[in-house]
Order: sequence, then C-alpha cells, then structure tokens
Amino acid sequence: MIVAENLTRVYTMGKVEVRALGGVSLEVARGEFVGITGASGSGKSTLLHILGLLDRPTFGRVTIDGIDVLALSDRQRTLFRLNRLGYVFQDYALIGELTAIENVYLTSLVRGASKEDYLERSAEILRRVGLGDRMDHRQSELSGGEQQRVAIARALVNNPSILLADEPCANLDSQTSRSILDLFARLNEELDQTIVMVSHEDWHKEYFCRVVTLRDGLIEEMTECGRGPHPGGEA
Amino acid sequence: MTAVFAALRVSAFLAWKSIHRGSKGTLALTIMIIALVFVNLVFLPSIISGVVETFNAQSIDFNLGNLVIEPREGSQYIGNATDLQQTVERIPGIVGTSARITAGVTYFYRGRNAASTLYGITPEDERSVTKIADYMTEGEFLSNGDTDAIVMGATLAGVEGEEAGGLPSLRGVGVGDSVEVAYPNGETRTYRVKGIFKTQSFGVDTAAFVTSREMNEVLGLQDQASVILVKTEVNGREEEYKMELLSYGIQEEIRTFQEKAGGFVDQAIQSFNIINAISTLVSLIIAVVVVFIVIFINTVNRRRQIGILKAIGIDQQIIINSYVLQVLFITAVGALVGMALNAGLTTYLTAYPLVFPGGPVYPVVEAPAVLRSIASLFAVSVVAGYIPAWQIVREDILSAIRG
Ligand SMILES: Nc1ncnc2c1ncn2[C@@H]1O[C@H](COP(=O)(O)OP(=O)(O)OP(=O)(O)O)[C@@H](O)[C@H]1O
Ligand SMILES: [Mg+2]
Repeated sequence: MIVAENLTRVYTMGKVEVRALGGVSLEVARGEFVGITGASGSGKSTLLHILGLLDRPTFGRVTIDGIDVLALSDRQRTLFRLNRLGYVFQDYALIGELTAIENVYLTSLVRGASKEDYLERSAEILRRVGLGDRMDHRQSELSGGEQQRVAIARALVNNPSILLADEPCANLDSQTSRSILDLFARLNEELDQTIVMVSHEDWHKEYFCRVVTLRDGLIEEMTECGRGPHPGGEA
Repeated sequence: MTAVFAALRVSAFLAWKSIHRGSKGTLALTIMIIALVFVNLVFLPSIISGVVETFNAQSIDFNLGNLVIEPREGSQYIGNATDLQQTVERIPGIVGTSARITAGVTYFYRGRNAASTLYGITPEDERSVTKIADYMTEGEFLSNGDTDAIVMGATLAGVEGEEAGGLPSLRGVGVGDSVEVAYPNGETRTYRVKGIFKTQSFGVDTAAFVTSREMNEVLGLQDQASVILVKTEVNGREEEYKMELLSYGIQEEIRTFQEKAGGFVDQAIQSFNIINAISTLVSLIIAVVVVFIVIFINTVNRRRQIGILKAIGIDQQIIINSYVLQVLFITAVGALVGMALNAGLTTYLTAYPLVFPGGPVYPVVEAPAVLRSIASLFAVSVVAGYIPAWQIVREDILSAIRG
C-alpha cells in the first residue's frame, strides 16, 4: 500500500514560488482503484510523479509497501520503478526509435525475460488494448490514441504491483475509453491490481473505489464510490 | 552474470535500434570523419617509413653495401686487401665484397671544373656488392682491364647549360668525351667517359669510378683499399653479420651501413618523428573534438528519450553503455572505411610514387602504426561518447522528459 504524508512540492522560478502541492496526505490500500480529479493545474500530475518516484517532494514522506522510497538512491529508485511500478504518462512518452511492441517489451528485456516470453506477453497485452494490428508501427505512424494505448500496454507488461496512470483515456473515444477502463477494472478485480488514475471525466467515477479531488495543490474532497475496495485487499 | 548479460543485451538492443533507425546522414558523416582521421593518423607515418626504407635501400644498393670495413685506427689504408676479401667471402651468408680506393680529385672538362670523389674499384667485385652497374643511362660500366676509362654519375656529368644547384657538375659530359682528372698527389690523367649512371642517390651520382688497377698505378699503391664494402645475403641482419665477422678475428673497423650513414639519417628520422608526433596529436585532438561534438549533439537531441528510459526503470549504466556501444560501432566502421581509403591512397602512391632527394618513396604501412591508430581512435571515441551520455543521464528525469 501507499502512504503519503504531507506532500508539498514547491517550484522556485527565480523569485516566484509555485506551490504545486501544498501538503497532501493520502493512503491507497492494496487492491484499491483510486481516481484523482481536479481542475487543470491543481497538482494531479505533480502528485502522481511523486508517487511514481519520478520526482521528489519538497517536504513530506512516501512509503510504498513499507519502503521509505524517498530514502532510496537514484539507482534504487530506478530499480523500484522497473520492478514494482507501471506508469502511464500524460504525454505517453514513447521511445520514437522503437516500434509499438519494442516499446512494450523493452523493460522485460531489462528484467532478463526470454525472447519467447516477452514477445508473447507484449503481443497479448497489445491485443488487449486493441492494437493487435499495429505492433510494428513506430510512434510517428500511430495516432494519439494509439500511442496512448501503447503507453498503457507498456505500463502493464510486467504486472506491476501499482499502476499509476495520468489521464490514460484523454485521447480516446468513449468506446475505447470504456474498454481500457474495463481492462483496468478486470485487473483490479482478478489480480488485485492497485491503480491510481488521474481523470476528469465524470462517468469514470463508476469504476473507482474512491475519488480524490485536488484544488490548488490541496485535497478538497475525498468520496467513496459505488465499488468499495476490492475484497481481499487490506484495508 | 546473467544480470550483466541482460544489461548488455539491452544496451546493444538500444544502440542497434538507434543506429538503424536514427539519421542516416549524421551516421554517414560521423563515419566519414572518423575514416579521415584514421587516414590522417596512418598516412604520414607510412610516408616516413617509406623514406627510411628508401634511404636504407639506397645506402645498401648504391653507397655502402650492408657492412663497411675501414682501416684500423691511425692507418689511411687497409693492407693486404685481397686476403681480407677472401677471408670475408668465405664466411657463410656473405655474398660479395668490393675493395674501393677513395680519392678527392678535381675534374676538368672544356674549361669547367668540379671537385668530387673518385673511386678505384675492381669492376667484377663492385658488381657483386652494389647495383650501380645496372643503372647506366648511357654507355656501359667498367671492365676489369680498363685503364683509360671512367664512368661518371649523372649529376657530376651534368647537363649542358644547367647549374646543378651547388652540387659538383661538369655541365654536359657525354659518353666518349675526354675528362681530365687531377689527383691529390699532383698527378693528372685524361680518361675517356665509358658510361654514365643515375642512381638518384646524390652522394653516388656526384662521384665517378675508374679501375683500381689504374688508381694503384697513379697513387703508387699495392693491394691497398680505403674501404671494403660487404654485401650480405639478407638485409636487416647487419648487426649479426658484424659479430660474425668480428669472430673471425678481423682487426679492421667494421661498421653496419646504419652506423656509417648514422648521423644524417638519424637526424632526419628524428625530425620526421617530431613532425609525425605533432600531426598525430593534432589529428587526435580533432578526432576528440569532432566525435565529441557529434555524439554530444546526438545525445542532447535524445534528452527526452534518455529521461523516458530512466522513468520506465532502465538503469543509467545501461543507457550510457548503449551510447558507448554506438560509438564503438561507428568507430569500427569508420576505421574500416579509413583502411579502405588508405589502401587506395597507398596503391596510388605505389603506382605514382612521391620523389624525394634520396629517390622515389613508396608508402610503407606498418602494422604497429595501424594498430596504434586504431587503438587511439577507439580510446578517444569511447571518452567522447561516454562523457555526454554520462552528463545527460544524471539529469533530473522530468526535466529531461520535458526536453
Ligand atoms: N516544472 C515546473 N516548474 C514550475 N511550475 C510547474 C512545473 N510543473 C508544474 N508546475 C506547476 O504546478 C502546478 C500543478 O501542475 P500539474 O502538472 O500537477 O497540474 P495538473 O493538475 O496535472 O494539470 P493538467 O490537468 O493540466 O494536467 C501548475 O500550476 C503548474 O504550472
Ligand atoms: Mg497533468
């Protein structure tokens, strides 16, 4: 589970200070599917970056599965991301020189998977996000929504213990969005997948256990939704 | 172990995709630059080796043979020259010897004069050591019985109406002309020019030859020699032969042709080596700067990509190694292209050699020089590839991804 306490992130630009997060405390239980919403500029991506070990807060503490992740060295954090986290960037962040399937299996390669394993697994996950016929396309040959789905496949390929997704459906039509959210929900239910997802579509709420609303870097509201924590998850 | 292998596999994978799918123009340009640096590193040493080789060949073939026997300390001549020649010729590996009497003389021809060296030789013997007799441009070489004949170097014979730039020249002597020679003991003789030779070795082309029989008579010598030249079966083992000769109890001074030519070549080679060192250093600095700039731009252009790689959990060492592998690949191809270019240049210069005062110079590409160049190129490229990758990899992930 994730325990974040009093997360504060201040950007200093010359004399101006931007307080992107002003002290956010949040717990996410194992097997929970949490949605984060809020206006543009409210700090959603900043929060997700810190939970994804891509950025360090100015103040505050983060422990994931009991590990104080802020105390880790940069290389330990890299290894942590590789082995435990899946991250979908708001701007997809694909490697332009690689094809869709290469983008997906790259981290499996690092983990030392055998060629058959990683090819089979990445092909399967690409089919599940509806890109079975786009595997050998490069970023420049994919639409925005297709790139976004490659990014989702890449985040899921290693069965991460936590999936962090920054507006993963921003560029998808409602039907494709629904199929992605169904996939997330199934992973959440069947594999107890912990998911923290940024979204500002109201109808996504039916998928979440809990919605956290940010406003100017602070938690404005926290609401339980229809789908309480998945049974089997620790509270 | 498996972790190291997996890491290397990923580095190689990324490196290959990057080369394969990156800009072909930049790739070709970088390879070409490395190839040219390679040529620059190898070419000048090959010319210097060629100069040394030409000089050695000229010294052996026209000037000195492989070994030179000189009078003992304090004597002007070697006595009992024939006995000594026979002793030496019996030693295995010795192909021939030639006893020479040397005289500084003045030549007169149609009111012109030139001071230079005249050698007294036994033509048969001289043919067994030097190749001068094979380099006649006009007429023919001496025979053992000749007494009133002289053969002359092309520079000394000269060309009608042409100055020889400070070298002794009679400006236009031809075969059949008569030349007067004033010996150091005051005697003068008139000889008919029997032949003219041209070896391109200027010390030889400014001299002339008569038979020892003739010179002995003029100088009143008997079985004496100023120097005995010795030709060995193979070149390059002069030191061993010298030891061999000494072990036969020869009392005279024995020197290898290198020792004899010594000062002059050594100085020339030293100067060449300084030029070569400077040129190598400059080439390497250019290589560092160019490879560094190209790799740096290449790496900076991929800041975002490096950031993404780190973000998805790829260790920085894997990323750095992928850049180093790319550089190694580019350098290897560059060195191969460079070798091809150099082979072309060498072939051309072998067909159309550069002409130096000592004669035509053929480039001699020596394996150690090539290996040294390859090694320094790789060293330089790895450094030039490592530093920018290392710098960018240490950057903050999000700033790198934002680009
Ligand atoms: N690198 C940075 N330097 C300065 N300010 C920054 C930086 N990154 C983010 N901010 C500021 O921090 C605040 C929160 O940004 P953040 O990206 O977290 O917003 P968001 O909620 O994800 O918005 P959106 O819905 O548009 O993605 C914004 O006001 C933004 O301008
Ligand atoms: Mg955002």
